[in-house]
Amino acid sequence: MTAPLLSVRSLCVDYEQRRAGVFGSRASTLRAVHDISFELSEGETLGIVGETGCGKTSLGKAILQLVPPAAGRVLWRGTDLARTDARTLTRLRSELQIVFQDPLSALNPRMPVGEIVAEPLRVHAADMSAQERRAAVADMFERVGLRPEMTSRYPNEFSSGQCQRISIARAMITGPKLLVCDEPVSALDVSIQAQICNLLRRLQRETGIAILFISHDLSVLRYMSHRVMVLYLGRLMEIAPRDELFENPRHPYSRALIEAIPEADPDRGPHDMADALPGEIPSALAPPSGCVFRTRCPIATPECARTRPPGESVSASHRVACHHWRDAHAQPR
Amino acid sequence: MNALLEIRDLSVRFDVGDAELTAVRELSLDVAEGECLGVVGESGAGKSQTFLAALGLLAENARAEGSVLYRGREILNAPRRELNTLRGRRIAMVFQDPLSGLTSTLRIGRQLEESARRHLGMNARQARGKALEMLETVRLPDPEHCLDLYPFELSGGMRQRVMIALGMICRPDLLIADEPTTALDVTIQAQILGLLAELRRDANTSVVLITHDLAVAAGLCDRILIMYNGRPVESGTTREVFTAPKHPYTKGLLASLPSLATDPAIDLTAIPGQPPDALVTPRGCAFAERCEHVMDRCISERPLLGGTRGRHAAACHLLSP
Ligand SMILES: Nc1ncnc2c1ncn2[C@@H]1O[C@H](COP(=O)(O)OP(=O)(O)OP(=O)(O)O)[C@@H](O)[C@H]1O
Ligand SMILES: Nc1ncnc2c1ncn2[C@@H]1O[C@H](COP(=O)(O)OP(=O)(O)OP(=O)(O)O)[C@@H](O)[C@H]1O
Ligand code: SF4
Ligand code: SF4
Ligand SMILES: [Mg+2]
Ligand SMILES: [Mg+2]
Repeated sequence: MTAPLLSVRSLCVDYEQRRAGVFGSRASTLRAVHDISFELSEGETLGIVGETGCGKTSLGKAILQLVPPAAGRVLWRGTDLARTDARTLTRLRSELQIVFQDPLSALNPRMPVGEIVAEPLRVHAADMSAQERRAAVADMFERVGLRPEMTSRYPNEFSSGQCQRISIARAMITGPKLLVCDEPVSALDVSIQAQICNLLRRLQRETGIAILFISHDLSVLRYMSHRVMVLYLGRLMEIAPRDELFENPRHPYSRALIEAIPEADPDRGPHDMADALPGEIPSALAPPSGCVFRTRCPIATPECARTRPPGESVSASHRVACHHWRDAHAQPR
Repeated sequence: MNALLEIRDLSVRFDVGDAELTAVRELSLDVAEGECLGVVGESGAGKSQTFLAALGLLAENARAEGSVLYRGREILNAPRRELNTLRGRRIAMVFQDPLSGLTSTLRIGRQLEESARRHLGMNARQARGKALEMLETVRLPDPEHCLDLYPFELSGGMRQRVMIALGMICRPDLLIADEPTTALDVTIQAQILGLLAELRRDANTSVVLITHDLAVAAGLCDRILIMYNGRPVESGTTREVFTAPKHPYTKGLLASLPSLATDPAIDLTAIPGQPPDALVTPRGCAFAERCEHVMDRCISERPLLGGTRGRHAAACHLLSP
């Protein structure tokens, strides 16, 4: 195996949240990402799935140093991004790109979209002529399914899905080595979603780009990823090669997610789906003792409340954090 | 069945520089009392603008023409005061971009409380209780703590659920939900859909569900309207549209959908080509340049969404040779 491009070691992200109280405002610290480690190789896509608020965006941003990690290391080809100086980081930015989850708010409303897409080139390929830049932008527009005539319009003149494609164009234009895609296709209609998926896969085949693909759509995730990582409440529950995870999930949460996958089937009502996994997500400010999933876990035992399950290896490439992963596997699906 | 909302020949145009962009083109649709209509379509098809126009929420550079009747009363371009009372109390909209639906400088709790006080006439204590109850209903973790947070302190999916809480607080007659489950994990998505189904059952609320997620539409909706380039191209019951799609675009959408059985080694079947430019008004069928069945007639003559009200129909020349 080739040495990993990216190696994330025990990464943690904290936020201070202020709330008004009778005695003035109080700050509490929320740990959004908790002790996460994984590696990513060239040409590989790692899918990230987990419930809302479990820290997927925070993890992606912390890897690119867009939010400061509270602890842990992010090694990019051996360089620790969390400890590197600002100049090196700026230089590396052309290799590390992100497509943000919120397409509209990520685009400068006062800039024509053609300029927005060209901007990274101004910074990272300053020797390009204006004409070359225009050609590159027009080419990128076409590749993501936008019309080149649209370059002079402003972001608020586009629908959400179109804004998403503009952000993908901006992220891809410098030819990055790592792309963090935060829900890149969830605002797109399925025919364009299929085009974008095919596009990302083609770019990956052509350039060997590594992709962190965050999505709550498991069908898309399975299609796009070589390996899949399942998060819950900021922690890693399971990580495994795609087929192994989908055919043989060991963690009860992974199993619940796979069971709840909706199908485009008019005979399946919303209530059938809601039966899949009841219960509420606990607060990240006061996570449950022991296993954080235990309040929704169908097979929790008293031990789960007492001790946190350590990450165990099912095989060399398959890790799971559950006391009862062997029994969980034995349960009928 | 009485129509709660009737849209007739609605057009929405935008001034963009020296040109005019048509987002919605002579669109007509009905939403019956208690029914759930799914509006599906390509991104940029005009789904959001149709309903923003109906509620008087268009951008400054937009113009709407046609007619929108709410319980028989014309509301298109109605005075702002009239629309303000209607919105929130009778008709609620869950916006696609949760950041634009929430006020960024106000804590979540304040926004919910204000709605409860204004529309339900509650006092401060009651409103606080109601706000908390709504956050519990949409299953936000630690709702009491969240009341005190600002929108930016929540994750994307949490904001979406706050928007849904805000939309449901007054038990409206009509809830327009624009991509309400886009950022949610499948277990929570299922819970939210269950919630919407409950609201329909208990309060007989009509729901318009704007989504590109075909699985979500299949799970909740009675009828489906497929839009392309500002017009409906197919309409029918959910079962008809999913099991016997008529329009080549609808067929293409259903074929593009990856499932757990899709082979990751091969490319997805995408519809080739790009969505049309809303600046241009095609003479014939707007789907012609992407359609594998295109004929001469498709270029010169626009196919109409034939059929009588409520019947399964599609706007395509293949169906009326
Ligand atoms: N700027 C911020 N300030 C304070 N808290 C934050 C901030 N951004 C995120 N959080 C909190 O961190 C946690 C993780 O948020 P994050 O956006 O990473 O979740 P996510 O997994 O991307 O969720 P989603 O699927 O909804 O996008 C949430 O509890 C959220 O409230
Ligand atoms: N303020 C504006 N000025 C000019 N054009 C606009 C404006 N707002 C929207 N449009 C255009 O109107 C068309 C329809 O937009 P709309 O938001 O209704 O699409 P949609 O069907 O909701 O798509 P999506 O699924 O991506 O949300 C798009 O072509 C968009 O570019
Ligand atoms: S450790 Fe216990 S509670 Fe946690 S997932 Fe495993 S069985 Fe469930
Ligand atoms: S009218 Fe013609 S171009 Fe349009 S969808 Fe039908 S066959 Fe295709
Ligand atoms: Mg996120
Ligand atoms: Mg929209």
